Amino acid sequence: MTWTNSPFRSLDARRLLSLVLIGAFVWSLSSVDWRGGIVHTGGGDALKDFPLALFPPELSPGFLKLGLIASWQTVVHAVAGITLAIIIGLPLGIIASGSLGKPGRVRMLVAAVMRFILAFMRSIHELIWAVLFVAAFGLSSLAAVLAIAIPYAGILGRIYSELLNDVSEGPLDGLRSAGASPAGVLIYGRMPMVLTDLLSYGFYRFECAIRAAAIMSFVGIRGLGFEIQLSLHDLKFAEVWTLLLFLFGLVLLVDYWSTSVRRSLNS
Amino acid sequence: MSQYQNSSNRATHDINHSRFLVDGRGLSKVFGTLTAVSPLDIAIKAGERVALVGPSGSGKSTILYILAGLIPPDSGDLFLDSKSTVGLQPGRELSEFVGLIRQQLDLVPQLPVVQNVLAGRLGQWGLLRSLVSLFSARERDSVLATLSKLGIADKIDEPTSQLSGGEQQRVAIARLMLQAPKIILADEPVSSLDPARADEILRLLTGLADDIGGVMVASLHAPDLIREHFTRVIGLREGVLQFDIPSEELMPSVLEALYDLDQQPIPIS
Ligand SMILES: Nc1ncnc2c1ncn2[C@@H]1O[C@H](COP(=O)(O)OP(=O)(O)O)[C@@H](O)[C@H]1O
Ligand SMILES: [Mg+2]
Repeated sequence: MTWTNSPFRSLDARRLLSLVLIGAFVWSLSSVDWRGGIVHTGGGDALKDFPLALFPPELSPGFLKLGLIASWQTVVHAVAGITLAIIIGLPLGIIASGSLGKPGRVRMLVAAVMRFILAFMRSIHELIWAVLFVAAFGLSSLAAVLAIAIPYAGILGRIYSELLNDVSEGPLDGLRSAGASPAGVLIYGRMPMVLTDLLSYGFYRFECAIRAAAIMSFVGIRGLGFEIQLSLHDLKFAEVWTLLLFLFGLVLLVDYWSTSVRRSLNS
Repeated sequence: MSQYQNSSNRATHDINHSRFLVDGRGLSKVFGTLTAVSPLDIAIKAGERVALVGPSGSGKSTILYILAGLIPPDSGDLFLDSKSTVGLQPGRELSEFVGLIRQQLDLVPQLPVVQNVLAGRLGQWGLLRSLVSLFSARERDSVLATLSKLGIADKIDEPTSQLSGGEQQRVAIARLMLQAPKIILADEPVSSLDPARADEILRLLTGLADDIGGVMVASLHAPDLIREHFTRVIGLREGVLQFDIPSEELMPSVLEALYDLDQQPIPIS
């Protein structure tokens, strides 16, 4: 069914749909148990105490050291995870782009299978991968790194394959006329033409990997999130604030770094 | 004008086409409803320098692309150096026979000049060598010598995108020199150049063709340059051959008639 003969083209139908959606939303509100259900007992106090605990956050040397170590663990997981993701994602992306091998059915089939594998890798959230890898390897850094690397390789591989396919054909024809094989066209044409985009996108994903590494705590892997969870459990909000500031600083730092690297790449 | 129509040595074709480096028979190309090239015979011997002339849209680029294997012809046979090349795509096999410089030059802007020139070797190199050379250029000396001949040796390590149009054209010629195909094709190589530079570029291209004992086919519009650098000139209009004559017979009136939009082109016989 195309848009032009779709029933939603008529204004009345669209209004009706909006009404139904709003109705569904209102109904869903009524189904929430508002008396004590949404904020647990004592939650009100916590809600009040938490902002106040920022003044001041926990700044004892011992705790700052703990925060630093936790930040370091988070960064290591993110860096190792994204690096592995690029190492895995690039070759898979190249295969998925279908730019290698003789043109024909086999190449198309291999590319389609690879796109399917990439889709599978990224369709499972990093936390679920984390659960799987913790089950396999225990609460180790390896589990955290793999849990980031697999879905991120799926994302990077897909983007990389699209970038490699979207280059202008002229220079590629020039290389082919000069005698380059598909592999030659890839390394002398496609790759140099998209290299800065590949790196740039990798750096962008690195920011996301930092946050992913931090929340790995939910399955018990060490890092900032893990410490946050511990302090939260003990209702030590000043400590929570300190750790949140560490995370915030980390994201800012990576953001600044990745932006400046990306800018110098693109200039 | 029909006295110029090439009777084409069809008789000799069938006996022995090895005399021809380029031997196309009945090549044609249709885009949708538009006939870009009507069935065309084109046979070129080693040593010949052929100019393609005709108003824009007359099919010059299409013919060059067909010869280069970039566009598959809708009909006809094509033999390059006596080998049938119909169905071959640009790549290792074809690059031995034929090299093409398009108007857009088709260099990789992100690569340094030396790598764009070395791309002319990709047909001879294996994958490993190609890969290694990308990080540490092989045969740098021969690139330097070639660029010196073209007067841009100092640009060897610059990003290609930072070169002027004229310099990039020389890089494309340098690549062709390393490729050294027997058949050199150039689409409008001098259209954007002043007369002195145009003369020099054509000298370089014919010199290259001389060195490798091959042929050159180029599209261009300037009659004095054609007489100076070419041995033969083929006139086209709306994809139909109008004349095929020695370049010294190219009278101004012939060209005027070819480019005159009011006159009817010669219909397909
Ligand atoms: N890829 C294409 N798709 C559709 N039409 C084309 C294509 N390439 C060329 N043409 C048409 O074929 C005709 C011949 O084009 P071309 O060979 O470029 O002529 P010339 O080089 O002599 O200017 C023109 O009318 C042009 O518009
Ligand atoms: Mg043209």
